[in-house]
Amino acid sequence: MKENPYQPWLATIDSICDEVGGQRAIKTFRLVFQDEKVREKFTFLPGQCVMVSLFGKGECFFAISSSPTQKGFIEVSVLKLGKVTSALHECEPGDVVGVRGPYGNHFDVSGWMGKNLVLIGGGIGQAPLRSLIKYVVDNRKQYGKLDIIYGARTSKDLCYTKDFAELKTCEDTNACLSIDVKEDGWSDFVGFVPDNLMRVNPSPKNAIAVTCGPPIMIKYVIQNLGKLGFSEDQIFTTLEMRMKCGIGKCGRCNIGNLYVCKDGPVFSYKQLQNIKGEQ
Amino acid sequence: MVNEKQLRDEVKKLVSRDDVKYVIGYEQGTYGFQVTPSFAFTPEEAERFIFSPLCANNLSVYLMLEEKPPLRKGEKEDTRKVGLVVKGCDARAVVQILQEKGLKRESLVIIGVPCTGVIDPKKITVKFPHQIKPVDVREEGNHYVLTINGKNQKIPKDELLFEKCKQCEYPTPVIHDVLLGDEVKSTKKEEYKEIKTLEKKALKEKWEFWSKAFDRCIRCYACRNVCPLCYCKECIVDQLSPQWIYRSVNRSENTVWNLIRAYHLAGRCSGCGECERACPMNIPLTMLNKKIEKDIKELFQYVAGVNLEEKPLLAMFKPNDTEDTIL
Amino acid sequence: MKVSTMEKYILLKNKLPEWINMITPTYTIFAPVKEEDLVFFKPITKPSEMTLAYSNAIVPPKAQMFHQTETMFTFTQGKNIRVNPASLPDEKIVVFGIRPCDAKSLSIIDPVFTNDFEDPYYLTKRKNAILVGLSCNQPTVNCFCTSLNGSPASPEHLDILLTDIGDKYYVELNSEKGKQLVEKTKKLFTPATDADSKKKKDVEKKAVDAITRQMKINNVDAFVKKLDTIFDAPYWKTIAMKCLGCGACTYLCPTCHCFDIQDETTLDKGARIRVWDSCMRPEYTLHASGHNPRPERMNRVRNRVYHKYNYYPKNHQMIACVGCGRCIDNCPVNIDIIDVITKAGEVKP
Repeated sequence: MKENPYQPWLATIDSICDEVGGQRAIKTFRLVFQDEKVREKFTFLPGQCVMVSLFGKGECFFAISSSPTQKGFIEVSVLKLGKVTSALHECEPGDVVGVRGPYGNHFDVSGWMGKNLVLIGGGIGQAPLRSLIKYVVDNRKQYGKLDIIYGARTSKDLCYTKDFAELKTCEDTNACLSIDVKEDGWSDFVGFVPDNLMRVNPSPKNAIAVTCGPPIMIKYVIQNLGKLGFSEDQIFTTLEMRMKCGIGKCGRCNIGNLYVCKDGPVFSYKQLQNIKGEQ
Repeated sequence: MVNEKQLRDEVKKLVSRDDVKYVIGYEQGTYGFQVTPSFAFTPEEAERFIFSPLCANNLSVYLMLEEKPPLRKGEKEDTRKVGLVVKGCDARAVVQILQEKGLKRESLVIIGVPCTGVIDPKKITVKFPHQIKPVDVREEGNHYVLTINGKNQKIPKDELLFEKCKQCEYPTPVIHDVLLGDEVKSTKKEEYKEIKTLEKKALKEKWEFWSKAFDRCIRCYACRNVCPLCYCKECIVDQLSPQWIYRSVNRSENTVWNLIRAYHLAGRCSGCGECERACPMNIPLTMLNKKIEKDIKELFQYVAGVNLEEKPLLAMFKPNDTEDTIL
Repeated sequence: MKVSTMEKYILLKNKLPEWINMITPTYTIFAPVKEEDLVFFKPITKPSEMTLAYSNAIVPPKAQMFHQTETMFTFTQGKNIRVNPASLPDEKIVVFGIRPCDAKSLSIIDPVFTNDFEDPYYLTKRKNAILVGLSCNQPTVNCFCTSLNGSPASPEHLDILLTDIGDKYYVELNSEKGKQLVEKTKKLFTPATDADSKKKKDVEKKAVDAITRQMKINNVDAFVKKLDTIFDAPYWKTIAMKCLGCGACTYLCPTCHCFDIQDETTLDKGARIRVWDSCMRPEYTLHASGHNPRPERMNRVRNRVYHKYNYYPKNHQMIACVGCGRCIDNCPVNIDIIDVITKAGEVKP
């Protein structure tokens, strides 16, 4: 019998970054596998997920928000919501968690080489895109234009502000932030993410658009991408569902005959159009 | 027995009214002795309605199961009434729900059926195990007459009746807008016979009896879902923080689950016996409920769901209440 | 591995206890045992504990491979967390008296536990199990295995099939495992004659004829496509109106395999356990955010039906239903899968 896929490796919380405070707080946890062999063996691609355990509380499925080009650790960004995520937010550096994975499919980073990328995120939905952005920036020559459109309700709800400060200084990257409502001292776009997309007005020519965020945002982003001339197979998104096993067995994350944990989380809009099932 | 034509006419009248959404009743099931809940939205659908001694389901459970998806913009809440066919025990559940303010009286139209007892499906399938075609069952005095393959079979009522029916005190619905037929008097002979026997047993024997029963529990929660009075928005067994009952299916957790459920029904259970009927594992759940019912009757002279004007038991504390139950 | 030409033997009925006794030291034997008018697969120590006059066990023998509650591993809590793998049982088991439909159900759910990631808990038990079936000579009211290409006397998913042909059992060996089990106890068996084979065929035919309820699926592919066209039909709502949302149908289904994973703890120790779960419950798909992709009973009822008759065939090229009838027998409100599927075939897209 092979390794037990349900048994996590131990990982230590190396550092914690407070992304967003308040009721819907978001923290990014940097996790380092305790076993050096696991550290080497654990490889993934942007878009893939891990199951993180807090022993005694349970497990949660998260997109890896760091890039495979960053070695020695992985990062997950966690929105405080349920039993496990609330307990995770209580953790401190040095605390030990369990990690198993990586799970699911990934963004087609090799297939997209040479293409222009339009990455549209909202709120915590930026987590998998952050992995992709870092990956593309670290392999910059292999990709065309890079448009990043990211927004949140207020400036305080924006994640990864440090990353964006750096991205804005990159000459070959177009990072466009937005907030929903006007604030003093905000010089970027004010309005919803789909509107910011129309303002940026990326060309569909030789392009791939990836969008992650709240379902309502995704809905209008996809509509607007259509208006901009993007076809169904040029648009990708990641989905989330309640998950338990992460490996396509426990049943609950299905959309029609597909399992988000195993057949996703990355789906093309064309694929989603053809599945009969509840999202 | 109920005149089915009268029943259908009554239902047709109701569903034709503008202020009635639909009526819940019974129709012929898919095989043998099965009867199944039926929802009539139109007079045509009311044609399917039946009532026979096989109509065991307590339909009042559907009152609390009705799903109300969030209203869309500009959409108004549908406040029309729901019609319901009830037997004596079912009506007590309705009264209990109304006492607890789970529903408003004006949201219901109740068609009462004076009940002369219903057949326990487990008992009848043991007697006629391979019955596929629907069977006509009629009541004639102290007998049931079953027509199987054109032949009539006469069986004493006592052999097929639910045990709960033999102890029923309120066969005529205590609440109704329409009553189909004449009132029926209780024919209750002996009360709590089984409970008294169990009470006399030694503690060890009781523990063994219930352990064996709860060991069988698979926690499908059919008992809970079929119960008209188990209508908590979030059931204690589903709560995660704090998690009172673990998901592990073992004697300890199963016992906690079944006892908590019984206690949550203390002073509320109308004795319809649906939990036991629905239990695929033959756990004698009514015994738990009956034991508590008996204790409450003795301690507080209270019977659940018989008087709409009364408050629920737990809402009518009196300073001179007995303290015998407090350890 | 299947044996190319099936070997057939005869075991006299009065020799059966002896056979069981002979294999008891080597195997844990799960056999049908009667308790409170119900039949359960339970470990037996002597043949007299089992009952062979039964229709089927209330809980399908999937429970022997896929335990309702399984400890996946234990751990210590606090600063020095340690994870202790659960020991996987290496006991060899014989599931004796399993019906052909239930044996088929295991073949149906095997891919779930094998594909992509091997599930050690299920597969260890599955590999250590020998399935000794007993033909279903008297199918019950809600048996409909023949509607789904099954037979009450098919040796297909079994290691050994016994068929009661009067005063003896007709024994068919269908795998190496089965062959080996009989090999060790060969003296009890005699080769079957053509007359015996004919008797078995007669018994099988009689049983097949006794199955009167039929689900109307003429062509699986066509039916899968048909369901694709009626996903949004109001039909599902009419069925769901009756549904109470309990889990009796799913827990007692031999092909349902969904589970939940939770941590259960005492002060300093804990265990990660998995338990059967049911898609009929709203909590099953409820996101922590409060969003529920299957918010209404209609969604959940439809998912149960589609999972078995549409999604599963798409993913594994087979319908995830064996026609055992348990969900029909145990539904408190007579939601009857034969009726549901047959009528779905008539729903207009």
